[in-house]
Amino acid sequence: MGDTYAIETRDLNKTYKGKDHPTLNGLSLKIPYGSLFGLLAPNGAGKTTAINIICGLRKYDSGEVIVDGHSLANGMNPVKPLFGLVPQDIALFPTMTAYENLKILGGLYGIRKELLEKRIDELLGLFDLSASRNSYINRFSGGMKRRVNLIAGLLHAPKILILDEPTVGVDAQSRRLILEKLVEINRSGTTVLFISHYLEEAEQICTEVAFMDNGAIICQGHPSDLRNIYTSCDSMESMYLLLTGKRMRDNQ
Amino acid sequence: MKKFRYLLYKDYLLLKRDLAGLLLMFLMPVVLVILMTLLQESTFRAITDASVPLILINNDKGELGKAIDKELEASGVFKIERQIEGKVPTLQQIEKEIASSRYTLGIFIPENTTENIQKNVARYVLATFSGAVELPAMDSVGFVIYVDPTTKASFYTTIMSTLKEKTQKIEFDYIMKEITRQVNEISPIPISTAGFAGQQVYIDIRDAQLEGKDMVPNPVQHNVPAWSLFAIFFIVISLSGSIIRERQDGSFSRLLTMPCSYTEYLLSKAIVFTLVSLMQFGLMLLIGVFVLPLFGTESLNLGSSPLALIILGLSAALAAIGYGIAIGNIAENFHQSAVFGAISIVIMAAIGGIWIPTFIMSDTLRMIGMFSPMHWGLSGFLEVFMKDAGVKAILPESGMMVLFGLVCFIIAIAFNYRRRLDV
Repeated sequence: MGDTYAIETRDLNKTYKGKDHPTLNGLSLKIPYGSLFGLLAPNGAGKTTAINIICGLRKYDSGEVIVDGHSLANGMNPVKPLFGLVPQDIALFPTMTAYENLKILGGLYGIRKELLEKRIDELLGLFDLSASRNSYINRFSGGMKRRVNLIAGLLHAPKILILDEPTVGVDAQSRRLILEKLVEINRSGTTVLFISHYLEEAEQICTEVAFMDNGAIICQGHPSDLRNIYTSCDSMESMYLLLTGKRMRDNQ
Repeated sequence: MKKFRYLLYKDYLLLKRDLAGLLLMFLMPVVLVILMTLLQESTFRAITDASVPLILINNDKGELGKAIDKELEASGVFKIERQIEGKVPTLQQIEKEIASSRYTLGIFIPENTTENIQKNVARYVLATFSGAVELPAMDSVGFVIYVDPTTKASFYTTIMSTLKEKTQKIEFDYIMKEITRQVNEISPIPISTAGFAGQQVYIDIRDAQLEGKDMVPNPVQHNVPAWSLFAIFFIVISLSGSIIRERQDGSFSRLLTMPCSYTEYLLSKAIVFTLVSLMQFGLMLLIGVFVLPLFGTESLNLGSSPLALIILGLSAALAAIGYGIAIGNIAENFHQSAVFGAISIVIMAAIGGIWIPTFIMSDTLRMIGMFSPMHWGLSGFLEVFMKDAGVKAILPESGMMVLFGLVCFIIAIAFNYRRRLDV
């Protein structure tokens, strides 16, 4: 199983202290190697909890998480260098320049100095940020911050890239650039787990999508295959609403 | 180790770019130590230079009146006046002057005090030697003392005991001299007063001293370590703030998904802020030694054990860092940590004797102050500055601060573990 899936969760359960209902309710997720996998879910469905557990930021009550063949029950140390996380928050140091941020974050992955310098220059160029290399993050626009946030997760050329809403709050140009580069990165062999509320984005770039609700996967497959199953739906959005309902959701 | 260097670099840059935090950590204590030392220095001088205003009317022409007058003059405690507006006042005028607080004390020695004592003693001696069954009653001889009613109880007690001590000694010496004279008049064998002179039980009350050094700290000895500790503890605001900011902007979570442990994350902050604390401490000592004397104060004597000072500085830094990390982990947001951090430090400083030395506090407050880490630190520094204490002598104070830091550290880790992992 570990040879087929970059990330696999088996019957994962998590109930937060003081809560009556489980946030994850037997979540079984299978993300194949080399896929650009879209995880789509309404607010409060448990996707952030799932990501946090996969990244070792939260404990789970029961079940199993396997990343690149390593069970998280045996510790996070072998897993940490394998993936890059691009969180929804701009998880950068605002009083530092883009270069300083990337130098520190890349350095923590143990990348050699010369290679790190080369990688920083290469990625800044790729995301059209070379001219802003030595500018402070707190002077960047929202789109520029998102791009640096993404670069920080790519510095060590991870085997698995996990992105939580990477295009939220950015303009159309930045969004287009980010999506294009994600496809390029995926084509170069990196498995990408992409979480977004923008369903058309997922439809546009993902090789596989999963709909999640109430802490469990309710449907998974290639977008075109799902279209063939849910023939009454003319778009990803209508399919999403059919599967998850039209009731308003609030974050819990 | 190479990876850890990047964490140190991160915390160094974050600190370097936090201008408000740096001003709070370096400029504020410098201003405070200079200002507070100079304020206390002038108050200290005013108190020691001042004399108690006393009006003395000595109507006794004999030896006792002269002796009391001379003793009061020689004590240096009193500023003695003998006339009011060029006239010798009456008893009623003295009372009025004291009641209006123009003078703190008024002493009225009546006419013939010496003569009356002589007569009393003569009658007493004669009666004793004539074998009288009942000794004659002594005529009342004495003088009147008026005290300003607004005088503080402690000051009143001190002055009155000083006055009583001096007058009783004079009176005793005088009576012994009179008895000797009377006995010699009726006895065929003359006796000497030598065997009676002075007190037989002598109580000598002194301030505890080591090699003759004065043990009450002067303003420089008190303020330099006091405000150094205050400054060291004020890193709590910056340290807890940086922890909260990193938690809120997500960079803390990002770091934990990287090959970086929570222990390394905290250790890096602890190292950077320990260096800051030592720099603050060094700066404050330099101010005590070189800058404060430029304002006319004494120069700070650093004692003879630099190692003891370094250990105390490090222990205080560890206590402050542990406390800062605990606040950074417990507080929900920056506002909470800044308000709680600042207020708790001010309270610790107040009860720990940073602003006002503990020796002038009430017993209850002094007891409460024993629980302040700043009190432990201050006691340790005063040991070094005033008693030339070495490493062994400051280990209890140092140990308490390290223990406090460790307890805070454990609380922080437990709190973070529960919150972050939700276990």
